[in-house]
Amino acid sequence: MLNRIEDKMPELIQGLVKTIKAYQMYGLNHPSFRNFYVPFYDKLNGFLEEYGLLDLQIEKFTILNAGQVVYQENEKDLSIAFKLFRDGIRNINITEGLTPDELLHFIETIGQTNKDQDLALSLWESNFSHLTFYVVEEEDETLNYLIPDPQYYDIDYDARIRDILDHERIDLRAVIDPDLNDKELAKVNAEINEEKAVQVGPAITTMISFLNYEKSTEIIDSLGELLERCINQRDFFNARRIVQKLNEFPEIKIIKKFENEKIILGFADLPETLDDQAFNDFTAFLGFFSPESIPFLIRMSARIRRKERRDSLRQRIAYLAQGDPTPILPFLTGSDTPVLVNAVSILGLMRIKKIADYFEPLYQHPNPGVRIALIEALFNIKEPAIILRFLEDPDQGVRINTLQALTALQYQRIFNRIVKRLREKDFLTLDIAEQKEYINCLVGVGDPKRTARLLEKILFKWVLFGAKKYRVMRKLSAQGLAQLAEESAQKALAAGCRRKNKDIRQACEMAMRNR
Amino acid sequence: MSLYRSGKDLINQFYALVKSTQIYDLKNDVVIAAADKFVGHIGKFLANVPQVEFIRYRDYIFFNKLRMRFEIEGYASLQFMNESYKRLKLKSITFLPGVTPDEIIRFASLFREDHDVFLKSMAGGDIRSVTVQFAGPEEEIPDFLQNGEQTKRAYFKSLKATKNLIQNLWTNQPVNVKSFRRVVYTLIDSISQDEYGVIALTTIKNFDEYTFNHSLNVGILALAMGQRLGLDKKNLVKLGTAGLLHDIGKVEINKELLYKIGKLSETEWDRLKLHSLFSVRQILKTRGLDEISISVLVTAYQHHWNFNGTGYPARDQEEILPSFLSRIIRICDAYDAMTTPRPYQPVPYIPALAVRVIWERKGIFFDPDLVKIFVQLFGLYPVGSCLELSTGDIAIALKENTGHIDRPIIKVVVDQHREPVDGALIDLSVTAGVNVTRAVYPQKYRINPAVYLT
Repeated sequence: MLNRIEDKMPELIQGLVKTIKAYQMYGLNHPSFRNFYVPFYDKLNGFLEEYGLLDLQIEKFTILNAGQVVYQENEKDLSIAFKLFRDGIRNINITEGLTPDELLHFIETIGQTNKDQDLALSLWESNFSHLTFYVVEEEDETLNYLIPDPQYYDIDYDARIRDILDHERIDLRAVIDPDLNDKELAKVNAEINEEKAVQVGPAITTMISFLNYEKSTEIIDSLGELLERCINQRDFFNARRIVQKLNEFPEIKIIKKFENEKIILGFADLPETLDDQAFNDFTAFLGFFSPESIPFLIRMSARIRRKERRDSLRQRIAYLAQGDPTPILPFLTGSDTPVLVNAVSILGLMRIKKIADYFEPLYQHPNPGVRIALIEALFNIKEPAIILRFLEDPDQGVRINTLQALTALQYQRIFNRIVKRLREKDFLTLDIAEQKEYINCLVGVGDPKRTARLLEKILFKWVLFGAKKYRVMRKLSAQGLAQLAEESAQKALAAGCRRKNKDIRQACEMAMRNR
Repeated sequence: MSLYRSGKDLINQFYALVKSTQIYDLKNDVVIAAADKFVGHIGKFLANVPQVEFIRYRDYIFFNKLRMRFEIEGYASLQFMNESYKRLKLKSITFLPGVTPDEIIRFASLFREDHDVFLKSMAGGDIRSVTVQFAGPEEEIPDFLQNGEQTKRAYFKSLKATKNLIQNLWTNQPVNVKSFRRVVYTLIDSISQDEYGVIALTTIKNFDEYTFNHSLNVGILALAMGQRLGLDKKNLVKLGTAGLLHDIGKVEINKELLYKIGKLSETEWDRLKLHSLFSVRQILKTRGLDEISISVLVTAYQHHWNFNGTGYPARDQEEILPSFLSRIIRICDAYDAMTTPRPYQPVPYIPALAVRVIWERKGIFFDPDLVKIFVQLFGLYPVGSCLELSTGDIAIALKENTGHIDRPIIKVVVDQHREPVDGALIDLSVTAGVNVTRAVYPQKYRINPAVYLT
């Protein structure tokens, strides 16, 4: 049997060494690491199932099993044996039942390249179930085992007890029952479980309290480290608290460290994945960034699918720009459409009139998404006259957005043009959504009385179109009337509901219902 | 499943079996199912080891040499085992291969009997796969446990490392962080092996080296509480480190002020109170920032926060509770501070009074639930207490008795004629007619309790 173990041992140890090296090169999550780790675990597990135990003795540069050298590396920096030996580890036992997670953690622990690491301490803290190790401690002969004598005083010790009882108001006859009831027990257990999580929040509160008392390099540096940790763990609530405090010290440019392409583009998935509270914390945290980070932020936020979050981030970037469009302008000439759209939207949100000039070359942009973004931006800077350009756009979505923008801006000068468009023969060839938008625009921009008269005319009298198509116009005008607060409009609708003409009656009834 | 977990499960299952034999007929399905479960579990062990043994020594139950700890979870089963061993005067129970459910049921049913019936029944010989050993008049230390010297060595080594750390910080010398970090795990290992042995060492009070002894003692007391609470290893490391470092900020306080005899002025007191704030900086200096120090610095900062919202440093809102670990440290710090001689308090409180003070201040200064755990662990007469007995003798409390907070295991050191004696150990929980009359100052009788405990 010994021979069989001896045969298997070199392969096993080689597997261990290769797996550790793969971890050091690739980290735990890389597929290349798994290629080493999985077969090694299978091999080790098979060995443990067969023999129950893997017993390894550690010497300075060698690892032995049953007195036979199974590993040797004399180069200190490379030698696993030396690394273990240096921290006092002299023996490692791995027993049957070792779980994949335990092995993974073992590899991670001994694969650490941090020279300050205490391997014995790390292994001990890991609390393995199927892995034990023996550590020798430095012997220290200078320990003082002498027990000091107590001080004796010439006092009445019983009187001292009486004084204490009196001072503390203690009744020694009081019964003490230290048993915890179920509720108390459950509370204590809950607190023990809570304690397992890392308490970053209270640590930040503590360090902030320190800085409220005194400025300290150690505390500032540690808060910087914590900030990094919070950002890596997507804890933007606490990240924000740290930056807010450190910003009180103008010479500390704490956020600078994070204003780089790699970190900011690494945030790209967050707007899609964070919950609402965490997302709000994230956007608030971005508020601490400087305009220098804007180019990265524009790229990071360009492809967010969730509209409300995209808009929220655009608002934040616009705020960061502080009225200066310079860092955004280069993106207007780029070929990446989502980035271009993002840049246009953000410029619009900055609400500075002069940006309309920068948009000029983009009005004929072949992508309708860009043209819609331009309409939104022009809406934000209140430029209806320029928006009007898009009313004849070949794309229906662009036209609808145009009408909506003009409605919202209450651009009255368009009233007659809309009336004219309604009269045009091909109006009924438009999609119903666009037709509705025309009526909405009419209602939105026109004088209410005048609009009511016009709509009433369409509803009851207009004979411009053939009978079948006219049904649509009646419906649209009834809906328009329903949107008007004018008394004449309401009367017209009420009258329509009493009409014999089925089309008029149905259109008015439906509009009243939907009002 | 770990060996420790299996041991706890076996004790729980045996407890359930004994209880079922006391309620139901021995042929009842409930009893048979409980026996089957126990035999099934123990059978797995017996396939690999020659025997499964439960030994009792100094209130500890050892499962195949592994000490079972009193924790909140499974507390009742372990206490039942301990009490049963004591009542039946058992030293060990050994289960051998081939043990059957029928044998186990008969064996478990004997646990309702008294010692004599139990002894007679076991001598009958019809339970062959379970053997018992009875305890002799003197408690023998199991050979695998003869580590008192190791415990002592661990204590003094820890004391030295703590002293080095504090002194080096005091004088701005580089500190040996690695050696200090190992102190914590040495202590945790020692406490898990010999809890009361380590606690006993906290009775060593060195007037001249108060700061070092106090830090170490708070660490030990807190770890003992943490172990009783069943904290995992990582949290024990946090707690132990917090205990050792909670006052580390005092290195930033002028020594003259720190050791001043007499009343402090308001300014001086305000300055002294800053030590918990300074501890935060010193912890970061010493350990750097990692998961452990994140918790430790909070604990150190809050260790003078009272449960009712008072204390220092001031908190933003009174209703913010100190962290769980801070509340443990708060109790242990207060206990050790009260019982240790210091320049401004040369005659400290005796341990029994300190326990009473902590009990009286629960809900005000201290977390009431944790105070209960503290009293369960240390009793009303903690280790090192000097006690006057109803017999007129004077004794030292050597060890708490789980479940009997006012009846520790004691050693008579002065007889009723006030002559020093090397008295026998008396377990007050099983000794009728001897009671504690009151706790007194050991100095009254020129006794140094630490001598009997270390």
